[in-house]
Amino acid sequence: MDKSYEFEKPTFIKRIKGMLGVDFYRLFHTPVFYIFLIISAIIPAMVLGMTGTTSPNGEITPLYTNTWQIIASNEPMYAVKSISEYANMNMVFIFGGIMISIFIGHDYKSGYVKQLFTTHPKKQDYMISKTLLGTFSMACMCITYLLGGFVAGLICGYSMDVNFGSLVCAILGKIIMSLGWASLYTFLNVLFRKFFGISIASSFFLGTGILIIGVGSVVGNSTMLNLFLYGSSVYACLSSNFVTIIVCLVCSLMWALIYNLIGTLVLSKCDVY
Amino acid sequence: MNAIEIRGLNKSFGEKKALSEFNMTVPVGSIYGFIGENGSGKSTTEKIICGLIKHNGGSIKLFDRDYLDDDVKAKIGVLIESPGCFPNMSVWNNLMLQASNLDIKDKKGEVKRVLSLVRMEGSASNKYKNCSLGMKQRVGIAMALLGNPKLLVLDEPINGLDADGMRIMREVLLDLSKSGITILISSHILGELEKIATHYGIIRGGKMLIEMTDSELSKSCRTFIKLKANNQDTKMVLLQKYSEIKVDENDYIRVYDREECENIVTYLYENGILVSEIKEDKISLEEFYIDLMEERVNNGI
Repeated sequence: MDKSYEFEKPTFIKRIKGMLGVDFYRLFHTPVFYIFLIISAIIPAMVLGMTGTTSPNGEITPLYTNTWQIIASNEPMYAVKSISEYANMNMVFIFGGIMISIFIGHDYKSGYVKQLFTTHPKKQDYMISKTLLGTFSMACMCITYLLGGFVAGLICGYSMDVNFGSLVCAILGKIIMSLGWASLYTFLNVLFRKFFGISIASSFFLGTGILIIGVGSVVGNSTMLNLFLYGSSVYACLSSNFVTIIVCLVCSLMWALIYNLIGTLVLSKCDVY
Repeated sequence: MNAIEIRGLNKSFGEKKALSEFNMTVPVGSIYGFIGENGSGKSTTEKIICGLIKHNGGSIKLFDRDYLDDDVKAKIGVLIESPGCFPNMSVWNNLMLQASNLDIKDKKGEVKRVLSLVRMEGSASNKYKNCSLGMKQRVGIAMALLGNPKLLVLDEPINGLDADGMRIMREVLLDLSKSGITILISSHILGELEKIATHYGIIRGGKMLIEMTDSELSKSCRTFIKLKANNQDTKMVLLQKYSEIKVDENDYIRVYDREECENIVTYLYENGILVSEIKEDKISLEEFYIDLMEERVNNGI
C-alpha cells in the first residue's frame, strides 16, 4: 500500500496551552492545593498568637511587636538570630516545595508523564508548565498567608503601623520570588523523579533557606546573597522599595531560566519512567 | 510506505544488551503481532518507538519520517503497560484531560467518539479506579485514539482480560484496523493474536528472528491429521506401538505423517477401538512459535 500522510506541526502555544489547561484543572481539583492554602493561612495566625518569651517573673513577651513582621522582617536579615526574624512569608516557599513535590510525584506515579511524552509535548513544555503552576500556587499561598497573618494580628491586638508602600513592595517581591522557587522545586523533582522521598526532602531542605542562612552567618549581611533565591526573598522586607521588586524580579527570572534549562536537559537526556 | 521501519537498532541498559541490530518493518494498515518471551525486548522496542527511552544506535522511521518529529509523534497513539490515568477522576475527565493536552478543539465530541469506538459510552462517569481491568485497558486504547492517530502502539493490551473482555478488544482492534489505523500489538496470548494479526514479528534476545504475513505463517505451519476415538484406553494402546504419539488437550491424536495415519487407524481397529472423527488441521501460531524457539535453542542460537 503506497499512501502519503500529512502531519500538522503543533506550535509551542498549542502545546503549552493544552498542558497548562490540564495542570490547572488538576490543581483546582486536588485537595492538596486547598489544604496548603489553609495551612498558609493558619501558620502565621498560630505563630503570631502562640509565640512569646517568658520572663523569670512569668510575664510573656510576644516575639512580634507588629502584625506585619509576620509578613517580612524589618530589615533584610540573612543570618537569623531569632525565630521572629525567620518565621515570615518565606515559609510559604517551604509549603510550596512540598506541594510541588506531591504534584509532580503524582504525575510520575500515575503514569501521566509516560502518557504525556508519547504525544507531542516537549520536555521544556513540562518544565514551563509545572513552574507556572507552582508559581501560581505559591502566589495564592502568599495571599492566604497575608490574610491569615492580618486577621490574627487584629485578633491578638498587634500594632498595624507600617509604611504601606514598603509593605506592598515586600509582598510583591515575595510573590515574584515564587517563580524562582517554583522552578527550583520543579527541577529538584525532575532530578529525583524516581525517588519521591528525596524529592520532597530536598525541596523542604532548600526551601528553608538553610544554606544561605549558613553562608549569611559567616559572611554577614552581604547584598551578594541577593543573587540567590532565599537571599532575594529575605531582601523583600518591611523597608523595601521599588528597587527590591526589581532585584526580586531579576533574581527570580534568572533562576527560573537556569533551572528550566537544566531541568529540560535532564529530562531530554534521560529515559522516561 | 511502511508505518514503522527500524534498521540496526541497538539498546543497552548498562552491560545488558536489550536490542542488538534489531530490524522491523510494519506496513501501513497492518495489525502487526509482535511476539517474544519476557525480556526479549518487545517493550523496549515499543518504548523506543514512542520516544520514552533512547536508543544507542540505528534508525527508526515512522511513515518515512524521523520518529521524533513533533508532528509525527502527534499522530501516534500509545498504550504501554497501563494507561496513564488519574485513579480518582472519572473516565470522562481522564479522557478530557488528555484531549486538552493534545489541544483538540471539539474535546467533548472527540471523547464521545473514542468512547464509542471502545464501546464504553455507558461507563464514562465511572471513576477510573473502579473500572475492571478490561475497562481500564479500553480506556487506555480510547486515550491512545484521541486526536485520530495513524499508528497505535499497544503493549500487552489483552493480558489479564476475561473471555468477554478479549472478544470486545478483538472487535475494537479489527474495527480500528478497518478504518485504516496501523496497529503494532505485543502479546503473550498468541491464540488471540492469531485471530487479528495480518503480520507477525518474532523477537528473541533482542533480535528479530522472523517477520512474516499471516499467509506466510499459514504456509509455514505444519499440517497434521487429527483423530478422535471415544475410548479411554486409546492413548495407552497407541503408546505400545507408537512411542512418540501426540495427544492434544482435547484428546485428539495428532499424526503428522499422512501415510502413517492409515496404519494407526488400522492398528486401533485391530485393538477394538473405533475412530469417530478424522480431520486435517495445522499447528497454531503458539505451536509454531514454540517449535521455532525449540529449534533455535537446539541450534544454540
